[in-house]
Amino acid sequence: MFAKGTNKGFLGWMIFGIAMLALPLFASSATVRIFVFANYIAIFAISWDVLSGRTGYISFGHPFLIGIGGYTTALLTHHLDMPLYITIPAAVLVTMIAGTLFFLPALRIRGTYFALVTLAFMELMYGLVQVVAPDITGGTRGLTGLPSIVTGAVSNYYLSFGVMFTLGLAMWLLIRTRLGTALGSIGMNEEAVRACGLNTTKLKLFAFTLSAMIAGLGGAMYIHYLGSIAPRGLFDVSFLFTILVACLLGGAGTITGPIMGAFFLTLLLEFLRPYIPGSERYLIYGVATLVLYVLQPRGIHRLIQITVNWFVEGFMRRKST
Amino acid sequence: MSYFTENKGFDTLSATSENRPQPMLEARGLTKSFGGLMATKNVSLHVNPGESLGIIGPNGAGKTTLLNLLTKEITPDQGSVFLNGNCIDRLSIHKRVLAGLARTYQVPRPFHDLTIQEHIRVGMMPDGLFDMLLHGADDEKELKIAESVGLGGERAQQYPYELAMGDLRRLELVRTLATEPSILLLDEVFAGLTVKEIDQISELLTNRRATHSTTYMIVSHDLKALEPLVDRVVVINFGEVMTEGTFREVVADTDVQNAYLGTGWEQE
Ligand SMILES: Nc1ncnc2c1ncn2[C@@H]1O[C@H](COP(=O)(O)OP(=O)(O)OP(=O)(O)O)[C@@H](O)[C@H]1O
Ligand SMILES: [Mg+2]
Repeated sequence: MFAKGTNKGFLGWMIFGIAMLALPLFASSATVRIFVFANYIAIFAISWDVLSGRTGYISFGHPFLIGIGGYTTALLTHHLDMPLYITIPAAVLVTMIAGTLFFLPALRIRGTYFALVTLAFMELMYGLVQVVAPDITGGTRGLTGLPSIVTGAVSNYYLSFGVMFTLGLAMWLLIRTRLGTALGSIGMNEEAVRACGLNTTKLKLFAFTLSAMIAGLGGAMYIHYLGSIAPRGLFDVSFLFTILVACLLGGAGTITGPIMGAFFLTLLLEFLRPYIPGSERYLIYGVATLVLYVLQPRGIHRLIQITVNWFVEGFMRRKST
Repeated sequence: MSYFTENKGFDTLSATSENRPQPMLEARGLTKSFGGLMATKNVSLHVNPGESLGIIGPNGAGKTTLLNLLTKEITPDQGSVFLNGNCIDRLSIHKRVLAGLARTYQVPRPFHDLTIQEHIRVGMMPDGLFDMLLHGADDEKELKIAESVGLGGERAQQYPYELAMGDLRRLELVRTLATEPSILLLDEVFAGLTVKEIDQISELLTNRRATHSTTYMIVSHDLKALEPLVDRVVVINFGEVMTEGTFREVVADTDVQNAYLGTGWEQE
């Protein structure tokens, strides 16, 4: 069912899982909170990667999907006092449906135009939330005092990590099936995929729905972690860029790459915070990203692969002589 | 002989008249214009089961457009396509492939990040999401198909960027063969190849014709390489069928020679 090399990769996942589970044992609660944030960025990056990394349909509209999930659960809990075990699944469902309705026409257009159309959705949402029924959505100020799923840094850490790890592993396994190969081939040459007798619309729709599901879930959980929702934080270009850069930096289309990218970016930003408190930090991460990208366009994922192979080969060579 | 002179156009009744076999693939009155340019004008032709039909014509004659119309890469302004006697106008590209009508592209379209074996995997892929998800690849069969075009063994793990043009053409061919077509449309299989590569591909196709019952439609500029591979030839010029017949008949035609003047055959 899975492609070759899956076992080796699985070992990597286990090591990563154990290390992450152990982290709160020796990290301060401030550090743990940084990792919570990293987990959420990783979830969003996974969501983006399933669609855009695989099929090459570059989405600039993921904050739009995340926002639908976030707003759905925020409105339901804030106005109707509905419990989270109903509002979060509802948020996922609404994101999948609404997202698909909006993106469906866009899936017929390729390349830059797809990116631009999806970007327009994000901007549209930003405008609409503030103008249409601001007494319900909270307008520009948004909504605050939203209930949290669990309390405390460590609980939130385990929750976000558990979801991120499960989704990440599931998506990583998915791309290693034949379905994953088919999705990936769309990004390489869509016409040729059709010429192989495959319905690319069906495949794209599947990737999109899956991506929307993850974005909706991540978005809903994220705003309950924050306890508030506001249009500026979500439908913001720098939020979009954090997701995009995490994926590109980590290695788009690999699932593990975008997770690495998300951690790298979040930690880099936090590391820079004491030295450069303002938004100039983003400039530094832009430069760091550019340098890394020039060095290895396939991202951190590939760098690690090369390094591991280098060590393994060196070890083998020593053993054989 | 002349099927064409008898039913140019839309005479549907005569297409199934008793003394002719049911064509495997048939085009009736295919017309397509791009802006003011008529790329194909009322093109009607057919390929019989097991037959190999050559399509020749000068640059820009509309050969690729014809293939695109047959596979629904583009939709005709007028005309219909029949597969085994059934009108397939409403079938999309991938449905036509599933029905057994597959093609290669004039400019190879490899998947840059997939190995040769993985190309075959995509070609063999069923069109059901669950099927793709739950059933793994058939390693053995993939390698066997790779072997059949001389890309087996170690070579099956190569990537497109490691391949010369001749092998890219093979890759294009093998990906298409993996869909198990009953009729195969080949667009310029010999373009951009060295003499040696042309011989190899030609030999491959000849052998395949001897061992498989696949029907072919082969577009080529290289008349010499095409000759041993086809039973019959249709000449297209300025988007129209100019003439058709056996290879010998067609190249002896003075109109054809004029259309090709300076570009091909007479250098032989
Ligand atoms: N998508 C398109 N839009 C506009 N014009 C087109 C398009 N496709 C083909 N044409 C034009 O239609 C004519 C026929 O092109 P086509 O590619 O079918 O010729 P061909 O016989 O395959 O030529 P070649 O031998 O160069 O492959 C050409 O003049 C070409 O420029
Ligand atoms: Mg052509």
